[in-house]
Amino acid sequence: MKDDVITFKGVKEGIFIDIKSGNLHLVKEELDEKLKDSIVFFQGAKLLGVRGRNLSHMEINEIKSIIKDKYNLSISEEGLPEYLNEEDILDDLKESFNNPLADNDIFQGIEEGMTKFINGTLRSGQVVEYSGNIVIVGDVNPGALIKAKGNIVVLGTLRGVAHAGIDGNLEAIVAAYNLQPTQLRIADKIARPPDENIISYKLPEVAKVHGGEVMIEPYLPKK
Amino acid sequence: MENEKIGTAVVITSGKGGVGKTTTTANIGTGLAILGKSVVVVDSDIGLRNLDVVMGLENRIVYDIVDVVEKNCRLKQGLIRDKRYDKLYLLPAAQTKDKSAVKPEQMLELVNNLKKEFDYVIIDSPAGIEQGFQNSIAGADMAIIVTTPEISAVRDADRVIGLLEAKGLQDPRLVINRIRPEMVKRGDMMNIDDIIDILAIDLLGIVPDDEAIVISTNKGEPVVIEEKAMSGKAFRNITRRIIGEEVELLDLDSNDEGKFTKILKLLFGK
Repeated sequence: MKDDVITFKGVKEGIFIDIKSGNLHLVKEELDEKLKDSIVFFQGAKLLGVRGRNLSHMEINEIKSIIKDKYNLSISEEGLPEYLNEEDILDDLKESFNNPLADNDIFQGIEEGMTKFINGTLRSGQVVEYSGNIVIVGDVNPGALIKAKGNIVVLGTLRGVAHAGIDGNLEAIVAAYNLQPTQLRIADKIARPPDENIISYKLPEVAKVHGGEVMIEPYLPKK
Repeated sequence: MENEKIGTAVVITSGKGGVGKTTTTANIGTGLAILGKSVVVVDSDIGLRNLDVVMGLENRIVYDIVDVVEKNCRLKQGLIRDKRYDKLYLLPAAQTKDKSAVKPEQMLELVNNLKKEFDYVIIDSPAGIEQGFQNSIAGADMAIIVTTPEISAVRDADRVIGLLEAKGLQDPRLVINRIRPEMVKRGDMMNIDDIIDILAIDLLGIVPDDEAIVISTNKGEPVVIEEKAMSGKAFRNITRRIIGEEVELLDLDSNDEGKFTKILKLLFGK
């Protein structure tokens, strides 16, 4: 893990110090350790600068002065080449793809969007996954799994596991004519029925996230 | 992991389906936990998982054995803690995959890792002798064969004992499930001695056919918890024998319940 804190990277203009961590104390420690061992190597190299995405300018300047004063290394005037900044943006973009809860690329079509219709009953072991909304004209039995980027609507009894908003949309809903799921998931929230027997209302119900928790309520309360 | 354990891995298998492997696994696992042992029960029946349902833990499943083996999650994340006993955990099977999702080598590694954390690793084997069975025995130190007093179940048990011996798993122990004493008495059911005579392995215990099993299975609460049930007592005896205690074989004819009903019958003439 420690290797990730600081890396020395070489480009054709020279070498630069890439700092991933935002913890200044940790960075200083690691810097001391790395420079101590190989100071001779760095004396002969052209040091372009320090890149630290999670550090402030003040902190970066502090690190630069440690390098200059304590280790007597000079940092080149021309600074980091332009294209390294572009690399930063690309890396950030990659990170947002890896993080499903980033706002910019989660499925938004829950009001109006792509929808898959399944006619028939989903049985144990069957999985339906779709990058949109899913409507099941039938039942979903225990052991079956539905995963949708958007909403899930079951026009029958939902007894299996339903996961709506799989890529992070907390506004997604799970609605069923008869809602008795093994487990419900909306985005990164997971809910299961209590262990005690609960009274079922025999009303169509809808599950949504309120205040960080999955809540279930009838959607035709007047009936 | 300062004090690494070296637990025992026990596979529960039968060859034939429907003889009570999963029920036996749930009850032995729970029984050992009641005796204060740390236990993990592993469902290796990928694609037809049941152990989670019998233990009443189905609605807690997020990750399963395939996720653990494929390293989609850490081992700890795949383990579900029992709702009744803190030292009892379940590693559920995947329902949406098939037996080929796990290889015997992976199973061996998994069981070895679990043995470092638990006193007992109880593996529920699928029916059959194909890959699922091969996976389930891959990491086992000991085998428990479950059979019923039917010639077909005994035949399959015999076949499995042979296969286990070929894999180097010696001295399996036998659980005879679903015995009906009144039928044995009438001579309509194989008796215990007949079965032992054919299989020639040590008897670990006998379990009577009991309505309480059906009730407890449907409730998701292993019958071993039920103080009064005859089958619960049978499983409690079996777990005590597993940890090395000497316990007499259950006398199915003169149980307390029987005496009690007899007195009732005498009193009320029913």
